[in-house]
Amino acid sequence: MGSKEICRNELRVAVRQLSDRCLYSASKWAAEQLVGIELDPVKFTPSNTRFQRGSSSIHRRFRNNEITSTPIAGVSYVSTPVMEEDDIVDGDFYLLAKSYFDCREYRRAAHVLRDQSGKKAVFLQCYALYLAGEKRKDEENIELEGPLGKSDAVNKELVSLERELSMLRKNGSIDPFGLYLYGLVLKEKGNEHLARNLLVESVNSYPWNWSAWSELQSLCTTIDILHSLPLNNHWMKDFFLAGAYQELRMHNESLAKYEYLQGTFSFSNYIQAQIAKVQYSLREFEQVEVIFEELLRNDPYRVEDMDMYSNVLYAKECFSALSYLAHRVFMTDKYRPESCCIIGNYYSLKGQHEKSVMYFRRALKLNKNCLSAWTLMGHEYIEMNNTPAAVDAYRRAVDINPCEYRAWYGLGQAYEMMGMPFYALHYFRKSVFLQPSDSRIWIAMAKCYEKDQLHMLEEAIKCYRKAANSNDREAIALHQLAKLHRELGRLEEAAFYYKKDLERMEAEERDGPNMVEALLFLATHCKDQKRFEEAEVYCTRLLDYTGPEKETAKSLLRGMRIAQSGFPSMSAEHFPP
Amino acid sequence: MAGILKVPGAFDVTPHKVSLCILLQVYASPNQLFVPFPFSSFAQHNRLGLFLLALTKSCDDILEPKLHELINQSREIGSSSIDWLADHLISRLSSLSSPDDLFNLFTEMRGVLAGQDAGIVEDDQIILDPNSNLGIFLRRCILAFNLLSFEGVCHLLTNIASYCKEVLSSRAPHEAHLDGSGVNLMEASEYENMDLENLVFEKVTEEIEAKKKAGERIPFHLHVPTPIFGLVEDTDIELSAKPTFKQSTKGKEAISYAMTLDGSSGAVDHGFFLRSNWQIQGYLLEQTDAIEKHGSSFPLNALEFMLGQLQKLAPELHRVHFLRYLNSLYHDDYASALENLHKYFDYSAGIEGFDGIPPSSGFNNSGRYEIALLCSGMLHFHFGHPKQAVEALTEAVRVSQQHSNDTCLAYTLAAICNLLSEIGISNASGLLGSSYSPVANMGTSLSIHQQLFVLLKESLKRAESLKLKRLVASNHLAMAKFHLMHVQRPVLSFGPKASMKLITSPINVCKELRLSSNLISDFDIESSMMITDGSLSTTWLKNLHRQRGSSVIFEETEPGNRSNASSFFSQPNSIPGSVSQLVGASYLLRATAWEMYGSAPLARMNALVYATCFADCASSVDAAVAYGKLIQYLAAYKGYKAAFAALKTVEEKFISVSKSQIMVLKLQLLHERALHRGHSKLAQQICDELAVLSSPVTGVDMDLKAEASFRHARTLLAAKQFSEAAAVAHALFCMCYKFNLRVQDASTLLLLAEIHKKSGNAVLGIPYALASLSFCESFNLDLLKASATLTLAELWLSLGSIHAKRALTLIHSALPMILGHGGLELRARAHIAEAKCHLSDASFSVPETSGVVLDSLRQACDELQILEYHELAAEAFYLMAITFDKMGQLEEREQAASSFQKHIMALEKVTDEEDPLLK
Repeated sequence: MGSKEICRNELRVAVRQLSDRCLYSASKWAAEQLVGIELDPVKFTPSNTRFQRGSSSIHRRFRNNEITSTPIAGVSYVSTPVMEEDDIVDGDFYLLAKSYFDCREYRRAAHVLRDQSGKKAVFLQCYALYLAGEKRKDEENIELEGPLGKSDAVNKELVSLERELSMLRKNGSIDPFGLYLYGLVLKEKGNEHLARNLLVESVNSYPWNWSAWSELQSLCTTIDILHSLPLNNHWMKDFFLAGAYQELRMHNESLAKYEYLQGTFSFSNYIQAQIAKVQYSLREFEQVEVIFEELLRNDPYRVEDMDMYSNVLYAKECFSALSYLAHRVFMTDKYRPESCCIIGNYYSLKGQHEKSVMYFRRALKLNKNCLSAWTLMGHEYIEMNNTPAAVDAYRRAVDINPCEYRAWYGLGQAYEMMGMPFYALHYFRKSVFLQPSDSRIWIAMAKCYEKDQLHMLEEAIKCYRKAANSNDREAIALHQLAKLHRELGRLEEAAFYYKKDLERMEAEERDGPNMVEALLFLATHCKDQKRFEEAEVYCTRLLDYTGPEKETAKSLLRGMRIAQSGFPSMSAEHFPP
Repeated sequence: MAGILKVPGAFDVTPHKVSLCILLQVYASPNQLFVPFPFSSFAQHNRLGLFLLALTKSCDDILEPKLHELINQSREIGSSSIDWLADHLISRLSSLSSPDDLFNLFTEMRGVLAGQDAGIVEDDQIILDPNSNLGIFLRRCILAFNLLSFEGVCHLLTNIASYCKEVLSSRAPHEAHLDGSGVNLMEASEYENMDLENLVFEKVTEEIEAKKKAGERIPFHLHVPTPIFGLVEDTDIELSAKPTFKQSTKGKEAISYAMTLDGSSGAVDHGFFLRSNWQIQGYLLEQTDAIEKHGSSFPLNALEFMLGQLQKLAPELHRVHFLRYLNSLYHDDYASALENLHKYFDYSAGIEGFDGIPPSSGFNNSGRYEIALLCSGMLHFHFGHPKQAVEALTEAVRVSQQHSNDTCLAYTLAAICNLLSEIGISNASGLLGSSYSPVANMGTSLSIHQQLFVLLKESLKRAESLKLKRLVASNHLAMAKFHLMHVQRPVLSFGPKASMKLITSPINVCKELRLSSNLISDFDIESSMMITDGSLSTTWLKNLHRQRGSSVIFEETEPGNRSNASSFFSQPNSIPGSVSQLVGASYLLRATAWEMYGSAPLARMNALVYATCFADCASSVDAAVAYGKLIQYLAAYKGYKAAFAALKTVEEKFISVSKSQIMVLKLQLLHERALHRGHSKLAQQICDELAVLSSPVTGVDMDLKAEASFRHARTLLAAKQFSEAAAVAHALFCMCYKFNLRVQDASTLLLLAEIHKKSGNAVLGIPYALASLSFCESFNLDLLKASATLTLAELWLSLGSIHAKRALTLIHSALPMILGHGGLELRARAHIAEAKCHLSDASFSVPETSGVVLDSLRQACDELQILEYHELAAEAFYLMAITFDKMGQLEEREQAASSFQKHIMALEKVTDEEDPLLK
């Protein structure tokens, strides 16, 4: 398949170019995708050797190939010519600077490059300065924690970088990497609009820089912004769109995109993990677990996204698997927010909430904006009955990302615990607005309405109906709907929902008091409606149970027989109240 | 971080503190002689000491003064040494180039302090006592420095470097703006406001000059630098013990102005800097008051900007969110108000910020979320969601009961009362009855009235037992309002047999009003206790605040110089703004009460008292109401010309709030005038406009709706469409009855009587008039009663001359009330009716009693001409002409007849002259 070959070749060049510019996370990503492309057994040759001969031969190959690129599935892709390197032989200073950079001595690297004029050198110098500023900022954030939480640590290099980059741009001597850096700087300074434009420009001229795409993605906060971006139709755009859809909670669209991409990149761990993420949002835990098991088999030292796996294990209460995972990440890299979250989850599952909070705190120390850590910590505080602390933690999560529906839900829960159902409703409303397909939120909301203090049953019914329509796993909604309708004296509706509930319980082979209740109601209801046959069926089923209901069923049956055999009914009054 | 509350104001070393230490070293260098080197006199030396003392007192700052600000402030000390001091300071600071220099500096500092073992202290040696204020400050600095980690020392060093750099850059201000940090932006806005500031200063200087001329004492510390104010507040009390207290407070205000004046004239840049944590809280409180007072006219963006800055500087100062909430609340931004409200309470758990509640008692694990509920109830109320408001408030009641927060409970009950009385009894009945509420536990059998009454009682009792003075007062007010507005049956009457007599009780109203004004005397006693640190800093900040651009805008809207001056000088009196607001409200309510009971002069007096004495602390809406009342009075007693002139000035004054109150008033006046002049088309148009102003929701804005439809009926009546008018009046009566607007019922009945009278159907009119009369009697509506009596008399009169006697007695019975309290129109009508009675009386002989008739007719004519009420004026002149005719005075007759003709012509020639007041 030609397209695979194109992708592979493009990525190969890109990995080299990206790591030449020390854009390591982008080159890591590109390399992962490169390996993720399914090998074509026919054409497969040990291709690595080709690349070591220098870049000129690659260029030639590309010029031949790009014309024949075949569109996949009706999408015509714009092929972007691979960028030509301006200086094939890197200068000595560049080599030195890169070595410094690789040793994380950013300022030194920048210093070495101070008088260099090549595009690559200029970029590396700026980038090194930027990273030096970032590093210092992080350190300062910890050093300076003033009273009242004053945290004004800023990247001190931003001003000079902006000046330099804007000058470069005016000269026209800026390359796509410079544009990316410029966008980054502007984003940090809060100039989002211009940042977006620059990033678009960057990815249009050099689409293989995943870091640029992900910065762009974080700037696309609404679907309208996303659609208004003038992006070229490169295959990298699919990755971008899939991620952006995911952020915008368009899970099904996102899933479709990823599955389509999997056609080409069938071995990509990244795509697998992303699919797992989407499935997690769709609450398909089984699938998530399967995916992660496979991921871990292929990539046992992976820490990224593993906190989500731990969430799944937590939800499924797999103690040993979770402890195994915690141990594994702990041995791999214990100072990662993900690792801390996993350990926190483990302690939480164990019921040791104080310890769990400690680990979430550590995760937050490592990354103050770690969304899931705030939320999970909120959950822990809820468990510990420390509602004000929980409220605080959730609120911080929400302030970091207002789309964090779990934290909104948590806030609602906290207030509900404090006996303020009306106040809690505000939060549930927020949450459900973000995640309208989650039956749990609808049910929580309905319960608030149902509370004695509010007693707004009509609203509760509406919520339960929503919950029942959006796959309610625990099947609470149907039962509640039936009960509420019965309370409100709407017997027909009650019967309808009892019947539905009954069917569902039969399908899932569940049993219990709900079953008895449903049967009893249906039996009496059918009898009152003179549908004796149906009533008999229900009564006989009730006979299988012990307890007072059995007796009731018997007397019902007796009454019906008498009624059917023509005697004037005197049995209706038989059953106990 | 969650669960960890940082100790606010942890003491850490900052460049500002380092420079203070350096100055301290100059002040108390151990090996100097009696008067240390840079100082020429002992006094100068002491002044530096005072200055340092003031600076150390305000060291728990969030935002510290910059170096150049410090230097500018220090110029106050004296001229000769200051340059040396500044140079010394700058050179010392800029010589700190390595961490080791800092270490050495602080080691030196230790030498300034007298050691415990120093033993003998020579007389002429200056040694800092380690236990003095300055000594303690120095020790704290040294300790804090010693506690610093190496990173901390490095930070201090870089901060000092940039601190010094700003002195240089302040000479070239554009460079300082390049890095765009928040503080600089603030300064930028400061530059823009410079001119305005100077204006204010000039004014103040004039005032000070005037005071000087008047021979008043200017206290000695005129030249104390600004930051000493915290100190002055303390020390001044001893100093001013000699003169009367009032004077000294006045003086204090004057100085604070003089200070800022000096500061800005001496140096180019007198930076706006907020000081301690307390002062920021004080500032926020101040802003809160301002928002509440000015309502929607408060500049949204200016404050928003300010809050943004504050939040950047102090992300954990959550009260900022609360201010945001208030700000957006008053600018009708529902979404943002709701969002910020929730944010504030999520972060602070309601613990931070609410005064009057001792924080210690509230610091249990549960937080104070009931206050959140109370606030959200008020929010929904404000935005007109009564149902949600009731839900939130009932939840607040429950939660505060749960947490036994009686204070909040009392406030919540008061809020519910307010809600109930405001949203109209009508739709509340469905509301409270259906929802499960603690209010309902008294049984739904009670009418909503009675529920409200019981609630008010309950709330009052609670507030009294908790000694919440303000709440008690406002509850009394609410009670008075209740008594005023609601016609009661005795609460304890149940069952159908109980007497259905409806009454109002003016005595209760009066009692409640008195009780609520007692508040002010209570506060005099309490005042010393009420002033906390926070409000002191507020006072201090008043001056800064005044200079800022935003407040200068208000200056203009305040009525003339009078209030300017009074707000300068009356400010430090001990009665908090909220209290005087309450007392003012009682006057306003008094005015309304008198208006209803029918004493116009008393109503006017009370409104006048309000407008003059409480305008400063009143919210602009209340002030508009008071002015509205005054204008209405003018219209009724002095004619439209005066009223419109007054309206014009008031409109200018309330340019931003004019939307509702003033607009309604204007339309009312215009309508009235149009009716009198006989422009029925215009009247109808205005009437429609009035109707549009009310909210389309049923049960809301009932007063306005009733008014509009009442005026509609009157317009139809004036256009002689009697059956339509009667239909509208009927509908109005039904509506008023349904919504329990009893007072309106009475006037509607009177209107119906009037319609029947005009349509020539007097027999039908009489029962209506009688019904209205009995309503008025039981509701104590004296003036309305008089006018009903008058209508009744007119009805009788129109039944034929045999009833003239009866009519005359009726008129005579009503005349004292009408002449004492009635407006021009009513008086004129009474006069005409009286004259008519006399004329139609068979036993009446013209030549003998013509004096009586002519007298009253002349008066009527005068009054009606002021009102431009052509129809009645024509009638009066007609009668006059007839009388003259009977008397045989032909010349006068002709004169009256020509006047009659003039009015008739005016009535018929409906000129649609362009009214300048109508857009």
